[in-house]
Formats: sequence, C-alpha cells, structure tokens
Amino acid sequence: MKTKAMIAEVKRWLENCTVDIFLGYKMVLNHPLPHCFGKENIEEVDDLIIGPARYSLEKIATHIAAAKPDIKIGMMARDCNQRALNVLLIWNQLQPEHVQTVNVNCCPSSLKKHGDCSYLEPQPPGAYKQRVGVDNRLSSQEVERFSPPERLSRWMYEFQKCIKCYGCRNICPVCFCKECSLEHKELIGTGTLPPEAPIFHLIRAIHMAGRCIDCGLCEDACPVDIPLRSLYRKVNEIVATVFDYETGSSPDQSPLNILGETVTLEPKPI
Amino acid sequence: MQCKFVPSVCSYCGTGCGVLFEVIDGKIRSTLPMKTHPVNEGKLCIKGWNLHEHVNSFLRLKQPLVKTFGRFIRSDWEEAIQITAERFREIIEKYGPDAIGVLVSAKITNEENYLAQKFARAVIGTNNVDHCARL
Repeated sequence: MKTKAMIAEVKRWLENCTVDIFLGYKMVLNHPLPHCFGKENIEEVDDLIIGPARYSLEKIATHIAAAKPDIKIGMMARDCNQRALNVLLIWNQLQPEHVQTVNVNCCPSSLKKHGDCSYLEPQPPGAYKQRVGVDNRLSSQEVERFSPPERLSRWMYEFQKCIKCYGCRNICPVCFCKECSLEHKELIGTGTLPPEAPIFHLIRAIHMAGRCIDCGLCEDACPVDIPLRSLYRKVNEIVATVFDYETGSSPDQSPLNILGETVTLEPKPI
Repeated sequence: MQCKFVPSVCSYCGTGCGVLFEVIDGKIRSTLPMKTHPVNEGKLCIKGWNLHEHVNSFLRLKQPLVKTFGRFIRSDWEEAIQITAERFREIIEKYGPDAIGVLVSAKITNEENYLAQKFARAVIGTNNVDHCARL
C-alpha cells in the first residue's frame, strides 16, 4: 500500500474505532522511528511514513497487549512482520481479533526483489573473515560444502567473537519467554567472555526451530557480524523437511511445542 | 494507554550510541538500538541493551543525601547545594583553591564538561580538572 492510501486508511480505522492505536513510523529528529498513533492526535497520522528502517513493531505490540489486554492494535506490516505476527498469534502472545495490519513492501530477499527496507544483502566480509570465518552471504548449502572440520573451525571463529550482548535475543520478534535458557547457569557458564561456544549459540539456534521467521533483525543487530541468519535458516530447513512445517506461514502450532498434555511431534509422512 | 518512543544517547560510556526507549504508560519497557544512528548503526552492547534496568531499579538514588554525623540523610537539592557551597568556601579559605579538584566524565556531554571546567577555573579558581577517559 502506498503512503497516501495508508494514511487515509489509518485515519479511517482510528475514527471508526477499528483500532485504538496504530504502530507505524514517523520522522523524529531526522530519524525514521517507530511511533504510536492515536485517536487524540489524529492529524499526526499525516506524518506516517513507511520508513527505511525496520523495527520489530509486533514485539512492541506484545508489550502493549501485556499492559492492556483489550486494546485493539493496528500496525504496519512488511512480510517479515506478518510472519512474526503469525508466530506470535500461534503462541498466544497476541489475540487475532485485537490486531489489524496494513501491508507494505518488504525488504529484498531471494523471495522478493523489490523492497525499501533497511535490511539489504549483507556486506562482503573482509579478507580475513573470508579465509577463516563464515561469509554472511552464503546459503546453508554453500556453507555445507566446507569439510566438517573446516566448517567447525569457521563457525567457532564466528562464535568466539561474541560479546554476549544478547542483542540477537532482545531484538528477536518471536523471543518472548519469561525465562531464557541463555541465562540459565546450568546450561551455559556465566561470567566469561566470549560465552561458552558453541553451546550459547546452538542453544539459541535450537530454540529458533519452528520459531524463526528469517527477518534478519538478529544479524542486523549483531555487533560482531555472526552469520546468525544462516544458522537459523539451517535449523528451520530441518523443521521443514522433517516435520513439513513452514515457520511463519503454516497456520498450526509448531511441531516442537510440547507444552500441555499431548506431544504434537509428528514427522512428515515419507 | 500511552506508548511513546524516546530517542536518546546511551549514558554508559563515551561512545555515544543512539538508543530508543520504548515507554509504555510512563515506564520504560525496553531499550532498542537506533537503526539509523551514525554511531552504532542499529547495534548495542549488553550495557546499552539494559539501560532501562538502571532507570527502573528500586535502588536508584532519586534525591540527594547529605552525610551528617557519619550517616547519609535524605535531603533536597537546595539544601545539598547550599551545604556543598559552604564547605567549598571553608576549604578554599583555609587551604586555597588548589585543595579542590574537579573530575569530569566521558559519559556526560561536551557542554556539561565545558561547564564543569569553567566552574573549576572561574568559580573555584583551580586548574585541577581531570577526566576519566585520560587514563
């Protein structure tokens, strides 16, 4: 949807109470920042932009819904936001009847060429990283062409750069657990840098199975450029081949959800 | 229901990373890196990611304390500044202005640092100004 049409639509939604608030973007001090538009300042909606930067609006929506469960939230959604929203709805973090989206263009990816978001293709890495690390532009098939010992040493190079900022988890739209395994003393030792590798990254990777919607925000937020996206893509490739579950687009609960009485883990029929 | 996004600069070190506070009903719910900020380009370290925790901490000091007979007693700004000024004056009269040193910080702005050195030189009358980033 174009900006003008979107502004008109959002104004209509706020006026006729389809939504109570709308999460979009606005230029503030020359920065495109997320903004919460409300009925009280409806003329402000004229400043609504699609914005070149991308924040996890759906994660903000879960915070708002946690503070006020009955509020009706509208939000601007690129493809990645939509996929994340699907996952959050499946995991009961938001109520489907309380969320409305306006769909806008998404970032360039192998699926869609046209886009105007901040996440472009990763930059080509420097010579040293190319020689000993994992190029962020490689697909998981390309990474698998390295021999296993070489692949391990390349991944270990990447993991050992980690400064344990927890940025990958904090920015992740589908990370909502109250207790996080990454802070669990008995799983990962505390008080050292880099964190215990590769266990720190692999625990997170395993938890991304059936959750990660490949939005790329984690890699974008990583201060040391660990190719997290390749890692989580690999994990979800396994989920797709073994369980026939496409994270973000399948409408059902993830096969790895074992909360409750019954285990839903069923491999794909061969 | 009020939800605001407040851009700011991380106060933990002198780098000056751009952060964005997510404020829900007057309380900072989380800190995000500013994606378009020229300094940090959408990245933060662990301290920046947790800025809101020290703002929300119940241990946070919200008013001045004055040490009286070895104990810290809650006070207001006017009284605290008055007592500090009186003590400064006593020290300067007795030992001279060089008995006082002013330590400024990498975490505060250039303008605040400028004011602090101006205070040291013009008000107190000493060149004893130093900075944590000079280590």
